[in-house]
Amino acid sequence: MAAIQVQDLRKTFKVQKNREGLKGAFADLFKREYTEVTAVKDISFTIPEGEICGYIGENGAGKSTTIKMLTGILVPTSGVLSVGGYVPYEEREKFVRNIGVVFGQRSQLWWDIGVIESFQLLRKVYRVSEADYKKRLDELVERLALQELLNRPVRKLSLGQRMRCELVAALLHNPSILFLDEPTIGLDIVVKSEIRDFLKDMNREHGTTILLTTHDLQDIEALCSRVIMLDDGRIIYDGGLEELKQRWGTGREVLFQFGSATKLGQLNHWTDGMPVTWSAENDLNAKAWIPLDLNVSDVLGRVVGQADITDIKIIETNTDDIVRSIYQSGSAEKPEEARAEQDGKEVVHV
Amino acid sequence: MYYFGLVIEYLKNYMKTRLTYRADFWVEVISDLLFQATNFIFILVIFMHTNSLGGWNQNEVVFVYGFFMVPFGVFSCFVNMWGFSERYIVKGEMDRILTRPAHNLFQIFLENIDPPALVGSFIGLIIMAISGSNLGLPFEWWTIPVLILFTLSAVAIYTGIYTALTSLSFYSDAPTGILPLMYNIQSYGRYPVTIYNRAIQVLLTWIIPFAFVGIYPAALFLQRDEMKSMALLTPVVGLVFLGIGLMAWNYGVRRYKGAGS
Repeated sequence: MAAIQVQDLRKTFKVQKNREGLKGAFADLFKREYTEVTAVKDISFTIPEGEICGYIGENGAGKSTTIKMLTGILVPTSGVLSVGGYVPYEEREKFVRNIGVVFGQRSQLWWDIGVIESFQLLRKVYRVSEADYKKRLDELVERLALQELLNRPVRKLSLGQRMRCELVAALLHNPSILFLDEPTIGLDIVVKSEIRDFLKDMNREHGTTILLTTHDLQDIEALCSRVIMLDDGRIIYDGGLEELKQRWGTGREVLFQFGSATKLGQLNHWTDGMPVTWSAENDLNAKAWIPLDLNVSDVLGRVVGQADITDIKIIETNTDDIVRSIYQSGSAEKPEEARAEQDGKEVVHV
Repeated sequence: MYYFGLVIEYLKNYMKTRLTYRADFWVEVISDLLFQATNFIFILVIFMHTNSLGGWNQNEVVFVYGFFMVPFGVFSCFVNMWGFSERYIVKGEMDRILTRPAHNLFQIFLENIDPPALVGSFIGLIIMAISGSNLGLPFEWWTIPVLILFTLSAVAIYTGIYTALTSLSFYSDAPTGILPLMYNIQSYGRYPVTIYNRAIQVLLTWIIPFAFVGIYPAALFLQRDEMKSMALLTPVVGLVFLGIGLMAWNYGVRRYKGAGS
């Protein structure tokens, strides 16, 4: 069964135009001008139960707006929406009992009271029975090592400690779907990886469906079997991370450092017949660009025996680079394909 | 039952946080009382110059003032919408409210609960008891139940009006200045409406019915037969305005735009 089903979802905001200067401000007082901004433009996707899906895109691409529609906070302008069998904005109170929400930039917890008291209050709000609550809390507290923090007021916690508590708060009622909006923002590497491990375990043990937005692609690499990429309100890629890499990672670069001067022509000669492109800054440093379908070792084999090499560095295109270039071009089509097909914003299903 | 349990829980938490700032608690109680005292002294000053205000003597007007304080205290304790726009719309805390399984308006009431305001209600009861005995008002079997019913109705009227007005924040980005204006108008309701001109009477009775949170219901206890039928209308007006308020609210929530990221 699909946990989340979205069909032609659209959200339009009316934004007030502020005219310039004092004169403009007066004009605004009497006659306001509005511009329509479409934050989410007819997107469709389906997330099956038990999947961890990453939702990425530049700032302002419409990620948060989508999450807010999926969690029932915003009412969509048009489109069909079903999350955990409910239409979120219609039966909000019943629906939210089934989901957990963590907004990285906002707290679920009460600022002045101890963490444990916040949990108690949430237990009452979510109508979790005392027995279930105790079992669940013990499990979560142990897993995230929170024992020492439970009696401290939230305002005295560090961001990492607070974030772990937020996760517990969002999971106390054992939701089947968990929404995370930038859960690792501003956290150090240790806490980040702790949270990633934790989310993975939750998904494996309880089958929790997780949808998370993030700017940290390591979150995606560590967690997500699938990634949906958004640009300007449209889905530009929906599929596995590996496929994305293969599609976009067009090749590898190998950096050579030579002990004695080696001419570019010489290098070209050695790899004759191979689709390798050489470039050199000077006689001691050279770069070879090797397409994906060619083995790096084959190229090395040709060069290593003949040249006086002091250092070799192989550079894989990493996800950050891939995503950066997609963001910049605004399309997940391969550059060549995009050129061939003028309408570069087609959705790619892999 | 669920909601009642939540009220208790939130009250407990209020106590836990507030009792750590005990001085703050008493400052709030005292400033509340001083505010009421200035109004009260104003009434006494008026009656130093005249014996009757539109046909009502000092004890009667003081009794009405006492009654007025009771629902107002309950309302201020449980329904506190000051700064809603600032806190929930501009800062986007409404997001959090909407992802929890209790009615969103109710959650907002709970989060802003303000028990010190109840002290005003007790003072109001004392004022009613003193001026009532000065007037020799009879204490009937129905006095207490009707007092409770009228108090709840008046709270419903306040809640309805303020909820409807606050729901305007869902439409306009800027916080509106209409709430303080209302706050001033509501104090008109504690004087005999007959002293105002016709237009204000209609306004206070049917449009923003603040006469129903003070003078009309109090008139029943004062055995003022000319306002008896109005007094009995109080629960109806309460229900109607609470209904309007909730409808406006629920409609407004669908327009909620969220804030920032």
